Amino acid sequence: MKTKRFLLFFLVVLGAIILSACSGQPLANNWPGLAADAKHAYISSGSFIYAVDVQNGKEVWKYPAEANNKILFYANPVLTEDGQLLIGSAGTEHPFISLDPDTGRENWTESFTGAKGAWMASPLVINETIYAPNTDGFLYILDLNGKQAADPIQLGGALWAKPSSDGTLLYVNSLDHHMHVIDPVQGVVNEVIDLGGAAPGSPAVGAGGVFVGSFASTVEFVQPNGQHEAIAKAGNWIWGTPSIDGETLYYADLDGIVYSLDLASGNQNWDAQPDGPVVASLLIVGDQIYVATESGSFFALDRDGKIVWEKTPGGKIYTSPVLSGDLILVAPYQADFALAAFDAEGKQAWTFAPEK
Amino acid sequence: MWQTIIIQPMTNLLLWIYDVLGHGPHMFGLAIILFTILVKLITWPLNASQVKGAQAMQELQNDKEWQDIQKKYAKDKEKLAQEQMRIYKDRGINPFASCLPTLVQFPIIIGLYQSITRALSATPFDMLQLARTVYPFQNVENIIPLNSTFLWMDLGRPESIQMFGLAVPTLAIIVAATTWVQSKLTMPTSSNPNDQTAQMTKTMSIYMPLMLGWFALNFASGISVYFIISNLLGVVQYAATGRANWSNLFGGGKKAAVTKK
Repeated sequence: MKTKRFLLFFLVVLGAIILSACSGQPLANNWPGLAADAKHAYISSGSFIYAVDVQNGKEVWKYPAEANNKILFYANPVLTEDGQLLIGSAGTEHPFISLDPDTGRENWTESFTGAKGAWMASPLVINETIYAPNTDGFLYILDLNGKQAADPIQLGGALWAKPSSDGTLLYVNSLDHHMHVIDPVQGVVNEVIDLGGAAPGSPAVGAGGVFVGSFASTVEFVQPNGQHEAIAKAGNWIWGTPSIDGETLYYADLDGIVYSLDLASGNQNWDAQPDGPVVASLLIVGDQIYVATESGSFFALDRDGKIVWEKTPGGKIYTSPVLSGDLILVAPYQADFALAAFDAEGKQAWTFAPEK
Repeated sequence: MWQTIIIQPMTNLLLWIYDVLGHGPHMFGLAIILFTILVKLITWPLNASQVKGAQAMQELQNDKEWQDIQKKYAKDKEKLAQEQMRIYKDRGINPFASCLPTLVQFPIIIGLYQSITRALSATPFDMLQLARTVYPFQNVENIIPLNSTFLWMDLGRPESIQMFGLAVPTLAIIVAATTWVQSKLTMPTSSNPNDQTAQMTKTMSIYMPLMLGWFALNFASGISVYFIISNLLGVVQYAATGRANWSNLFGGGKKAAVTKK
């Protein structure tokens, strides 16, 4: 009988431990966000945001000083012209904050805490206004001091993508399968376009409209008046933002296929399948197209889709690579290091791993 | 292994029910309720054997031969254990039969928690994992992202209602209350002060509501919906088989008679 009692007690305790482990504080888990200017790279990697010197890969600062498991950062930080670094928390508490890019100190006396959901998306800053999409389905409109500048606009569905702007209108993708065309001056939604699938990436502005990929495995071209058409297909979900270079559109899908499309004719120029699913947006610099894959590889393709060089930083790469000076920065997930820098020839300049 | 056997089928079943229901607001909550009913139906025979096993153990506690060997071999634990095993064998009783459904419940609860978390995909990484979990026949492009709204709740987050400036965890209270009711209804009455089964059940009827209430307080409210429906169905099952011990809830019940052999 004692054995039975012990067994039951043991099961209760075991269940508590296992379920506690399931909750796995911090609750959210995701790949890092990345941004860079000429001096620093900024990685948002869970509990901390790190500023890294792009000359040598050394840590300049980290924010906050101590981890708080209710505050997590995964969105790509955004640099403003007036010298702020903006990002919101994706944890169970979700302040939207502004940091000094040089020191990592908070700029605002009070962070913005008016959103109900997590911040997975980066904000868009136009002139002196911050447009910040939240997973609660609202687009928040703040001034550069973090104060609400206008009523938030309810769009519906979780907003994971940074808005895009053609200078007049805002284009905001939602996971509820819709793109919203917004007049920011009037604060009204002009058009709602059904994309046929969730759109976690940002629209790319060009050719008098925007291009957007979605889980419907299509690239949709949307005009400011809301007219739209699917101009290209893929074999699987399109996650990242398409890249426009002159008359050519580049995009990639979860099958790992990179596509080149001639915008003038609408014909596909070529496709290539370097290695593994592609979630990250492609980066075009000079004559090369940089592709980061879930398999942990990093490729440079030429304009004909041929592999120029290949590197394997390791881990899984979901974060879109960014350019800082002459260096391409790559932030792998679940790797030995958080950031690696490569030059155009594929030579690794440095890696950065946060101190544990 | 855990992924293939537990998480993937559970997640796909939840998504399939959600899709069949029309994947609108409140439908994921309904999918969890239907899923719970399905689990209860599948585990009905196990629960029935638990009830039977618990009752057999209860009757044994009041059995004269059983009580005699307790006294006779009180100082010889080894001999006592041998005699107990002999009686179990003679009467065809499996002393662990009442534990089996509890054992089955744990993987279901843990798997369901992970399935709900995965299905609701709070982050891009979760959604990518979900895409790999879904079976090819599912119309995944149409059904994700899931609508996590159910009544006043976000099923992906712990629940509370603002009342008088306080965040009152109503679901956690309901989980604790229904767990307590269920355990009270299944608790055997005993006239034997040394009845260890009754003591153990009494202890569990205190700890289980507290533990599940704590889970409901801290975890996604979708799991609380599972607990509540599971508890209510448990009560229905006990009532349907005529074994619910209503006297424990409302008082005035008769004490179990001592069986003499």
